[in-house]
Amino acid sequence: MSMTLANQQRIKIFSLLSPAYLWLTVAIFLPLSAMFYFSFLSDVPFGQKEWFYSTENYQAFFQTTTYAKLLWKSINLGLMVTGCAVLVGFPCAYVLAKSIQGRSREALFLLVILPFWSNSLVRIFSWAIVLRGNGVLEIALNTILPFEVDVNLMFSTPAIVIGLVHSYLPYVILTSYLALQAIDDNLIDAARSMGANKLTILWRIILPLSLPGLLAGAVLIFVPVVGSFMEPRILGGRVGTYFGTVIEDQFVAVFNWPLGAALSFILLAVVLIILAVASPILRRAQT
Amino acid sequence: MSGVLLTRLGKLWLLSILFFLYAPILVMAFMSFNASQYYQLPFEFSLKWYEKLALNTEILDAATRSIAIAIVTTVVATVLGTAASVALFRFEFRGKRFLQVMLFPPIAIPWLITGTAMLIFFFGIGLGRGTPSVIIGHVALAIPYVIVVVSARLATFDATLEEAARSLGANAWTVTRRVTFPWIVPGIIAGALFAFAVSFDQFVISYFLSEPGDSTLPVLIYTSIRKGFTPEINAISTIIISVSMVVMLIAARFSNFGGER
Amino acid sequence: MAEVSVKNVTKKFGNFTALDDVSMEFPDGGFFALLGPSGSGKSTLLRTIAGFLFADSGSIHIGNKSVDLIPVEKREIGMMFQNYALFPNMTIADNVGFGLRVRKVSSDEERRRIGEALELVQLSTLGDRKPHQLSGGQRQRVALARAIVTNPRVLLLDEPLSALDKSLRVDMQVELKRIQHEIGITTIFVTHDQEEALTLSDKIGILREGRMIQSGPPRSVYNNPVDRFTAEFLGDANIVAENDGNGRLNVSGNPSIKIPEGAETASALAVRPESLSISATEPEQEGLSKVHGRLVQRMFAGAMSTCIVQCGSHTYKMVARDQDVPNLSEGENIWLSWKSAQTIVIP
Repeated sequence: MSMTLANQQRIKIFSLLSPAYLWLTVAIFLPLSAMFYFSFLSDVPFGQKEWFYSTENYQAFFQTTTYAKLLWKSINLGLMVTGCAVLVGFPCAYVLAKSIQGRSREALFLLVILPFWSNSLVRIFSWAIVLRGNGVLEIALNTILPFEVDVNLMFSTPAIVIGLVHSYLPYVILTSYLALQAIDDNLIDAARSMGANKLTILWRIILPLSLPGLLAGAVLIFVPVVGSFMEPRILGGRVGTYFGTVIEDQFVAVFNWPLGAALSFILLAVVLIILAVASPILRRAQT
Repeated sequence: MSGVLLTRLGKLWLLSILFFLYAPILVMAFMSFNASQYYQLPFEFSLKWYEKLALNTEILDAATRSIAIAIVTTVVATVLGTAASVALFRFEFRGKRFLQVMLFPPIAIPWLITGTAMLIFFFGIGLGRGTPSVIIGHVALAIPYVIVVVSARLATFDATLEEAARSLGANAWTVTRRVTFPWIVPGIIAGALFAFAVSFDQFVISYFLSEPGDSTLPVLIYTSIRKGFTPEINAISTIIISVSMVVMLIAARFSNFGGER
Repeated sequence: MAEVSVKNVTKKFGNFTALDDVSMEFPDGGFFALLGPSGSGKSTLLRTIAGFLFADSGSIHIGNKSVDLIPVEKREIGMMFQNYALFPNMTIADNVGFGLRVRKVSSDEERRRIGEALELVQLSTLGDRKPHQLSGGQRQRVALARAIVTNPRVLLLDEPLSALDKSLRVDMQVELKRIQHEIGITTIFVTHDQEEALTLSDKIGILREGRMIQSGPPRSVYNNPVDRFTAEFLGDANIVAENDGNGRLNVSGNPSIKIPEGAETASALAVRPESLSISATEPEQEGLSKVHGRLVQRMFAGAMSTCIVQCGSHTYKMVARDQDVPNLSEGENIWLSWKSAQTIVIP
């Protein structure tokens, strides 16, 4: 029996796609579902443990203000880091996209993006060396400044913010750069020919047109920062307790996995809300 | 003129950012060659931390394991990801948009969530912690990157080249082998290098999935940092960061990342 | 409205001289074309008049005042770009109103003037659309409305019609001419399309390698080109005689080509393809220049036909209404002739 062309094609599509998507299902989507299930258990269903279905893990979040406060602290950290990264990164992307030309632009762009693809843990660690009391920053400042300063930023919120901005800055530069590069230079010329000054051009042409890229970068920063735990641990020390570190604790120290699962899902909900709010603007960019 | 001044200021800003990005890394590298254990200045050149590193079997084992895991991840993710991107490029079918959107969660969901979910699931099915779990997790994270990079390359492929080849009498297999494949090779190489970097630099997933005493290099570094700084960690970190930067430089050459084609 | 004058403008980019001592007058209310092959400097000249570029030496006056130190945003010009450069994030009305808002015009007046401008380009109903919802021709009209709504002193057009297909382009030429006439604005446009330049403009400036080769009314430039480049660039030209290097015209041993009086020392003689007549036998009339040759190819193109004729070492191109070409087949020996008054003398 000969197969129809459509059937042949269906088999081809299936055999090319199924391995990758099966893998993603087993390693990402099933675990997320399993975690959702877990978040409604009273204890882990392994070994001889007694367990039953309950919403007590979610109740725990709402009954005490501890978790909500930590979540708010994490969101705040996310806003702070995102804000700093945007303020620092957007002008940088603009310079890269509009005032530098040719080969040096490509090279500089690569230099900006490169650290992003190196180990984030190691980069956070390198800040620990710079920021600690008696560290390089203090020595450098004391060499330049005529008076003695005592710089011990280590184990403080500024240290965490600096480290996270350093980690995620390339995101916002990358997305803004791509958006800015796509803006036709003639648009800027046209605005000038109509009498617009630099501020008007920035405000009415460049910002609106690059907003989707800027926002994409901001989302890409905000989401992982809200869920960060390694950076606050290394750079924050005792002040570095955030929502992410509490979740980490449930899995590696306290071993209350169902609570950890519930907290993870609350975090996921926050992430999804952020993505949902941002997506209309991001989608508008495609038209 | 104010325009010139502004441009100058902009370039200065760019340079400051490069300084911000690279200074700590350079300081770390610098300190790994400093004799003092407590990063004391003045600088005194010494290779002793690298010598100590060469004798530290725990770190070396972890490094070997990390590289092995990265290689396996690269091979599997590249093969699966390339196959999927070819199907997504070549065929129109129902649900295609959905499949493309499904690549987003593994990249966008914080690794903390993905990692803990994997931990729960792998325990639930009896696989538990360990290197196989780590590899399953790494491949899953790398596949979307490979698909995105290879698809980007495929998107620049001029379909009329295939039509031209067929009009000259080449059959479908020959067209794929002689025309399509050579075109996407740079994309595949770039995708593979991205996969390697994703796995080799991955900390969060490995942290939750690897067994104590059987951990990957980043996990070992994390636990050592939390115990207290040691200059050996400096040395190995310097090596890691050099390796990943070189890998990404090569990847960038192959993928035309960000540059005009 | 204002006149524009360009005096001895030179502009260099590194070692490359984009404009070399260029001068041209653009009287008030006229329609002017800058014509030249790519790289001739025509766009550089336009951008220098606009104020995007500043001349290294020489000066530019708009309305009798030097604008050499005035940047583009203060020059009160209107400009239309090749790709129209409509702001994709704004509606058509906001695009047109951009220059008014920058000038802080009251919102009532802004609305009124946007309406007038859109009416002028016959797009009154499309103000709420976004640029990507418009056709190429409509976008072109919006760009024009946007360029003129601020009542600029000069309208500058950079290859305004090159992105349109041929039939639309002809419609837009008519439209552009009508609107320019209606508002009487001094208009300078850059083009590489010689037919467009001839059709639209009151005065043409021809540029080559950064130099202004010739400028003048289209008919006079067409009929009296100053050099061989202009003759061949602006329309087609058959070179029938060239200077032999000793200061004398060489008619290739063909005594039936008449050298006009006083043209004995010219550098070349040329004749336009449409000036030629073709016949199977030698034409007898007085006062004709004529050459004998072989019809190589005859191409029918609707209203007109083109004949390629080989006369010794020269290849001639001839264009005539199809009905004026006798029934000849390719390969036949024929005569080409033209009235001596139509011989173009290239000095």
